[in-house]
Amino acid sequence: MAEVKERRVYDLFIGPNHPGIEGNYSMQLTLEGDKIVKAKTQGGFLHRGFEKLMEERLFIQNIAIVCRICVPDPDPNEENYARAVEEIAGIEVPIRAKYIRTLVLELSRIASHLFTFGGHAGTIGLYTMPNWSIADRDRILDLFEELTGARVYHIYIMPGGVRRDFPAGFKKHVMEVMDYIESRIPYYDDLLFDNAILYKRAKGIGKMSLEDAIKWGVTGPNLRACGLAADVRKDDPYEAYPYLDFEIPTRTEGDALARLLVRRAELIQSISIVRQVIENIPEGPVWNKIPNPLKWKVPAGSAYVRCESSKGEYAYYMVSDGGRKPYRVHVRGASVTHGVHVLENLLVGSRIEDASQIMFSLDACPPEIDR
Amino acid sequence: MEYVEEKKVVDDIKSVFKEVDCIIKRERRVEVKLPKEKLLEFALRMQTNWDFPHLSAISCVDWIDDGEFELVYHFWSYNRKVLVSASIRIPREENAHFETLSHLWQPAKFFERDIHEMFGITFDGNDDMSKFILEEWDGPPPMRKDFVTREYALSFYHFREYHPEWMKDLEGAGEK
Repeated sequence: MAEVKERRVYDLFIGPNHPGIEGNYSMQLTLEGDKIVKAKTQGGFLHRGFEKLMEERLFIQNIAIVCRICVPDPDPNEENYARAVEEIAGIEVPIRAKYIRTLVLELSRIASHLFTFGGHAGTIGLYTMPNWSIADRDRILDLFEELTGARVYHIYIMPGGVRRDFPAGFKKHVMEVMDYIESRIPYYDDLLFDNAILYKRAKGIGKMSLEDAIKWGVTGPNLRACGLAADVRKDDPYEAYPYLDFEIPTRTEGDALARLLVRRAELIQSISIVRQVIENIPEGPVWNKIPNPLKWKVPAGSAYVRCESSKGEYAYYMVSDGGRKPYRVHVRGASVTHGVHVLENLLVGSRIEDASQIMFSLDACPPEIDR
Repeated sequence: MEYVEEKKVVDDIKSVFKEVDCIIKRERRVEVKLPKEKLLEFALRMQTNWDFPHLSAISCVDWIDDGEFELVYHFWSYNRKVLVSASIRIPREENAHFETLSHLWQPAKFFERDIHEMFGITFDGNDDMSKFILEEWDGPPPMRKDFVTREYALSFYHFREYHPEWMKDLEGAGEK
């Protein structure tokens, strides 16, 4: 608590239920006038104890748990979990399944970025953008429903491959939706990315230098907006990414505007990746049979697997002691750095009206932090 | 597989820490097992000499049968594109404690706070060991293996008696 002297400094609580907060999260801001002099984040509103729960469930049962860790972008969890089990147990994944996983991850990235565009625009008062982008995101969810049977939590990627192959006509539908999303980008530009309000509000806000970003453990689009072309998909390749051709968009400004524009460029790259997957996907099986999952004992060992989620580096550390259940699963959400001390650092010195925008520009996702 | 950069990383580590167990696990993954006294020196060298600026995560594993906690530090290098997982073991005590890395890596501050909350390990030198998630919790650290969720729930919560007619046949048919 700040010292109250002559009523110049006061505390303001934003959240846990607030339209300017991504998910359920709380910021305790100490203000001097409208300038933030101290910020403290408070989490735990979405703690569901998944790491503990996973230690008490069979390896196969956990697939239904992991996707619930991050709501807007659930697939990196499934993919990371499956890959950790595969690495410990030494299971090979069919090449077609790798392509399908890549497709699912990229669709999830597009859906998550559309969500963030809407959220970011909402914080600066452009309320048409959330209506449009979330309606367009629904087209992606329709694809997920067609492929996996579920819209948000797909429970689709499992150790050994994926649960089922493409349904009839799915490739055509994916291409149609990609054409549609691409045709919408000029509208987004008119509404948000070329809008003078965005440039007035977001330029120079929440600015960090590349040195600070590395020191603070920033990853993903937030780091690329500071000028470092670091991407787990290129640096530590997994699934079908080594076979695909895509670029890593970067900017150098490191402010909220740069972070948003990097995400816009990533959306275009993701559309291109999805098209390449659909064009190049090989035929073959989609799942290598694993032993009877109810009696399956995964050999003792440990694995640290990473992937690039829409928010940054996502990682799982899994330890097996040779039993039927994982001994320990540690989830390193991408927002675990962005949502806590990076946010606290960036808020200090900025103004109260930018607090929400800074949080959305970092794309900090509280369920990943709380787990 | 050639493992060029991975071998260089192992050589770097072996040149200073001759005794430690250091293996290439797979492409871009190196595992090091350190005695706990060596970690601070190792981390300093990782940051200043060997170009590992990113501390990806700190994982804690409770090896209850060995009476030890394992702390695994995952370091990533943007230039060398290798991930080094350095693990140390500390005695598993009620008031287990270890030295902090938060003065070298800022993310470590929150990682350690999280481990303190879930495993009850205090990190000496980390000035923020306050609760983040379990604010109203004063029981044992819940991620320790001797904390059994089910037992705790059964001892702490009271179940309401509910035996309607239609459930008579079903009762006892499930879990045996």
